[in-house]
Amino acid sequence: MPKVTINGLEFEAEKGSTLLEVADFLGIEIPTLCYHEGLSPYGACRLCVVEIGVGENTRLVTSCTYPVQEGLNIRTHSERVVRTRKMLIELLLATCPSSKVIQDLASKFGVTQVRFKQEHNDCILCGLCVRMCAEQMDGKAIGLVGRGDDLKITTPFDIKSEQCRLCGGCMYICPACQLRCQGPDVEEAVCNACLNLEPPCLESWDDAMCYMDPCVACEVEYSRKPKVKKEKTSKEQS
Amino acid sequence: MKAYRTHLLVCAGTGCVSNHSFDIKAALEQEIKKQKLENEIVVITTGCNGFCERGPIVFVQQEGIYYQMLKLEDIPFLVEEHFVKHRPVEKLMYIPPDEEKLIPTMSEIDFFKHQRLIVLKNRGRIDPESIDEYIAFGGYESLAKALLLLTPEEIIDEIKTSGLRGRGGGGFPTGIKWELTRKAPGNIKYIICNADEGDPGAFMDRSILEADPHAVLEGMAIGAYAIGATKGFVYVRNEYPLAVDRIKLAIRQAEDYGLLGERIFDTDFSFKVNVVRGAGAFVCGEETALMASVEGKIGRPRQRPPFPAQKGLWGKPTNINNVETWANVPVIIDRSGTWFSEIGTENSKGTKIFSLVGKVNNTGLVEVPMGITLRQIIFDIGGGVQKEKAFKTVQIGGPSGGCIPKEHLDMAVDYDELKKVGAMMGSGGLIVMDEDTCMVDVAKYFTRFLYDESCGKCLSCRDGLKRMQEILRDITEGRATEADLGLLEDLAYVVKDASMCGLGQTAANPVLSSLRHFRDEYEAHIKYKRCPAAVCKEIISSPCQHICPIGTEAPIYIALIAHGKYEDALNIIWKDNPLPSVCGRVCHHPCESKCRAGEGGDPIAIRTLKRFATDYALKTGIEPDIQRQPKREEKVAIVGSGPAGLTAGYFLALKGYEVTIFEALPVAGGMLAVGIPEHRLPKEILKADLDQIQKAGVRIETNVALGRDVTLEDLHKQGYASIFLATGAHKSFKLGIPGEEADGVFPSMRFLTDINLGRDVEVGKRVGVIGGGNAALDAARVALRLEGCEEVSIIYRRTRAEMPAYEEEIVKAIEEGIDIQFLAAPTKVLTENGRLVGIECVRMELGAMDESGRRRPIPVQGSEFSLQLDTLIAAIGEQPDLSFATDKESFDVSPWNTIIVDSETLATNQEGLWAGGDVVTGPGTVVEAIAVGKRAADSIDTYLRGEQFIRTYTVTRPSVSVTPVELTDEEIAETQRPEMPCLLVEERSKNFKEVELGYGEKMAVKEARRCLRCDLDVKTETEVDQDGEVFEKEKVHA
Repeated sequence: MPKVTINGLEFEAEKGSTLLEVADFLGIEIPTLCYHEGLSPYGACRLCVVEIGVGENTRLVTSCTYPVQEGLNIRTHSERVVRTRKMLIELLLATCPSSKVIQDLASKFGVTQVRFKQEHNDCILCGLCVRMCAEQMDGKAIGLVGRGDDLKITTPFDIKSEQCRLCGGCMYICPACQLRCQGPDVEEAVCNACLNLEPPCLESWDDAMCYMDPCVACEVEYSRKPKVKKEKTSKEQS
Repeated sequence: MKAYRTHLLVCAGTGCVSNHSFDIKAALEQEIKKQKLENEIVVITTGCNGFCERGPIVFVQQEGIYYQMLKLEDIPFLVEEHFVKHRPVEKLMYIPPDEEKLIPTMSEIDFFKHQRLIVLKNRGRIDPESIDEYIAFGGYESLAKALLLLTPEEIIDEIKTSGLRGRGGGGFPTGIKWELTRKAPGNIKYIICNADEGDPGAFMDRSILEADPHAVLEGMAIGAYAIGATKGFVYVRNEYPLAVDRIKLAIRQAEDYGLLGERIFDTDFSFKVNVVRGAGAFVCGEETALMASVEGKIGRPRQRPPFPAQKGLWGKPTNINNVETWANVPVIIDRSGTWFSEIGTENSKGTKIFSLVGKVNNTGLVEVPMGITLRQIIFDIGGGVQKEKAFKTVQIGGPSGGCIPKEHLDMAVDYDELKKVGAMMGSGGLIVMDEDTCMVDVAKYFTRFLYDESCGKCLSCRDGLKRMQEILRDITEGRATEADLGLLEDLAYVVKDASMCGLGQTAANPVLSSLRHFRDEYEAHIKYKRCPAAVCKEIISSPCQHICPIGTEAPIYIALIAHGKYEDALNIIWKDNPLPSVCGRVCHHPCESKCRAGEGGDPIAIRTLKRFATDYALKTGIEPDIQRQPKREEKVAIVGSGPAGLTAGYFLALKGYEVTIFEALPVAGGMLAVGIPEHRLPKEILKADLDQIQKAGVRIETNVALGRDVTLEDLHKQGYASIFLATGAHKSFKLGIPGEEADGVFPSMRFLTDINLGRDVEVGKRVGVIGGGNAALDAARVALRLEGCEEVSIIYRRTRAEMPAYEEEIVKAIEEGIDIQFLAAPTKVLTENGRLVGIECVRMELGAMDESGRRRPIPVQGSEFSLQLDTLIAAIGEQPDLSFATDKESFDVSPWNTIIVDSETLATNQEGLWAGGDVVTGPGTVVEAIAVGKRAADSIDTYLRGEQFIRTYTVTRPSVSVTPVELTDEEIAETQRPEMPCLLVEERSKNFKEVELGYGEKMAVKEARRCLRCDLDVKTETEVDQDGEVFEKEKVHA
């Protein structure tokens, strides 16, 4: 049973479990998009990144794929993690603003602007439908085709697949095209209407101090001292 | 095997093969047969010799003679001369650039001399298609030693001792990797040789496979034995057909000899190798994507862990190493790990192969010990930057690597040092870039490449790179804002932090490292809409117009001259420049240094064409149509009548102001009148421009010096609402050596001023000039023209390459018989009775680079020498003379004795007082001073109108569109500019006649027609012709 430290809590995790599962067990909320309990982890949306390691040698890994290891120090809401997640959400919003799932994430993480050229796509290439079809429906009717910007999800040769039984599993699981944001202004890239939560503790603590709703950080006496907000150093660059 | 007297080794690497080296081989064989030498001489094809720049290459053993750049027609002569008559053919041997002496043998050539061959020891030596030759040079001995004498653990220990690290880029210790795979549970294990080399400009792996495929196989077999693998794969790009053929042939040969296959050397060890051809996706170089590709799936990475050592090919423990890593293994087993670990630096052992490409003279493949400096690689081995351009940066590690600027040239090359400066070893591509490279453009190119090659699986890499290249495109097209730069940087960190595989994690490196070292270039694009290297088309329109400080529309007036519309051309010239005749002669023409025609031939003679136009105006009496705006009340005073003062005065006068220029000297023109000698700028030419400026309404009062005859306060009292100080830099620096107060030592400015004002100056027979700028050359050439002077020597502390004077002036000075002592510096003025008799100098050598990017000269101990002189002229630079500034008129002055002004408005800290030109910047060029004068006029104008001066920056565009001229094929092929007609050396001695005569009409039109018109935009449009066939047509847009 490997012992890990997650957000300062020591925990004996079950061997073979992933960081996401541990966090989930402890009630620590990590946002995910391409992850689903019933499907194999894919690690494509990067939203579930957490910071592992201590001192200078920390790095970001996807918690949905990373297995627990003895002595691992994990921070699920460090400044670096949250900054990264916010940028990723902004990227998603720039591509697919009509998804309620993404709009909710934006609200939750305080992403209030999109600085990229706005696009209106219906697919974020999370691959959930492909895995759903292959792993749960035993269909393998659709797959990821192409590379880079040309990557798309389709049936072989873009024609109706004989494997497809029209079960609708792909549509059921899709976070982008099914659940539409019906916010006050549908034309806007950012809705920010339903949810709005931006943890105030990030600025001074370099960590979200609570992982439970509602936030109680302000009342809790914490052993760590507030740290000066990190500047981007050359070390990060190397 | 049959013995031969001589072996002719013909390079058959891909580079030489594409230069027809197989034809050369056939011709050699045919010719040898003809001469009946086939029993004495044998022709052998070898792998890449490395010096690809010079292919095709033939190396003659035993003599060691190196023939290069061979052509088919050279062969009969070569065979007859060398092998029949025993006279090696000198004209086919190597001559280093800029030198005359040829180097006959390979071992003496700089390119080879500084290399250390371990992995490439067999390159250019054996036939890669013959296993016998490999064995004859000790091949497969290491495998025998490993299998028969060593245990797997001992081999792993040996590799660990050697300190070998992965050569594919990551630099993971090879021994530890092998141990991990060996210890991983499971019976079936695999090893893979990664030869999916996809970096632009990298060809190390290809060359190894082509030159010595058996070394890779032997390394793999040893590794397989140590790891416990029974099957190996070579994953090689299908774009490397020769490498694929040779490795396949090598496998067949080794299997035939029992060196691969079942029960090798009668041990229990069996090992088979398969070749898998990659389809060319860059991402397949990433190990998890590569394994997916080997398995037959789409080459798309997956998240690690599990690492290949735990779960690799088909879920089995797998060890992946790069070609170069595998090729190191036999040597380590043969010579021991301790021997290997003695080469290199503390944490990086052995050698590294680099492919040296880009703007470097000796393109090719080099193997050097770790810890060598970049300067040694680029300058000693690489022979420096092409066309003597300035080195800017080197991109190391391909698109995922970083750029290293010149400050770090003396840094040792090893894994850790490179990481410290934000680069990485990568697989070892070195792309040398010169001053004409725009770093934003480079970052855009690499980001675009990686965006195209991204597999698209993870969001941060796919969308992140897409957005990054969008922002970079905006920057290079002049549309980006400063907020975009911040966004780009933030996004780059996210792409680096959050991406899944090595491709994404390093994809931001080109942006991050260029931002780190060249942030000013990004800012220039965004804030000032300038591309300093004049590359980004959307910003610059044409490089000549963009680079000109006053934005002269060179392509337009050149095009008009080509059309024969000289008057229109003149109007374009006059629009931006009140001193065109002067500039047509003495401008430092930055436009020509960036001219696109200069890339494949001579740059267009832009300055001379301007001179042609202005000479035409003088000859025909055409004058600019000066249109003054309605007269305004305010009076403006300008102090100093140099180019800055004249220009400011001219443009203010056009705006309607009453302008008076006060000049301390008896003549107007400042440095143009007294600093530049008559033989370069005749007085009547200057007068022509001055006349036009006066016609515009500018009044010039000579012999009025600020401080002596008039004060700033007086000027204000006289009703001058604004004063512009453009007093220039006329005070020569002192040499700072003993004895310089002696009689016979002149500062160059005093010397040139006296001559130009017609004062009597006595020089003796022998004149020495110290310095390497234009003032030094002017002084030297003037001195030689004076009666009584017989010899003139210039003493300069660096070499000709660093000399700041214009190249054409240096050439003319040498023509006229002036002796230039390079790499010498004065140490003492020798005097007798207070009078100069000579100078003692010391020889210098060039050391490390200083802040100016030039190599610092260092005195050579004990190399003192002396010259006998009658006159010594010190021309080591000038500074402003601010002695006119009394306490009352105190304005901010810098430590360099220049006036401090607001960089945008040129205003000093005193109300109503502006300053510009050399008095602010220190000595600059004429056209820079004109640019400042123009800006001062705008700034003063807005001030007097009571408005706020806000400088706006826009992308460069021409004001009118001129259609290109129709050219004949012959004209299109022309790459040379007509030589400037000059007075003969005899005709110009002892007189001050203008040396350059300028182009005649025919010559000028011919040269103007040579312009490539890169200001025009060529777009390819698809059209459909009558038959319904689609074809592409190039359309020219203005």
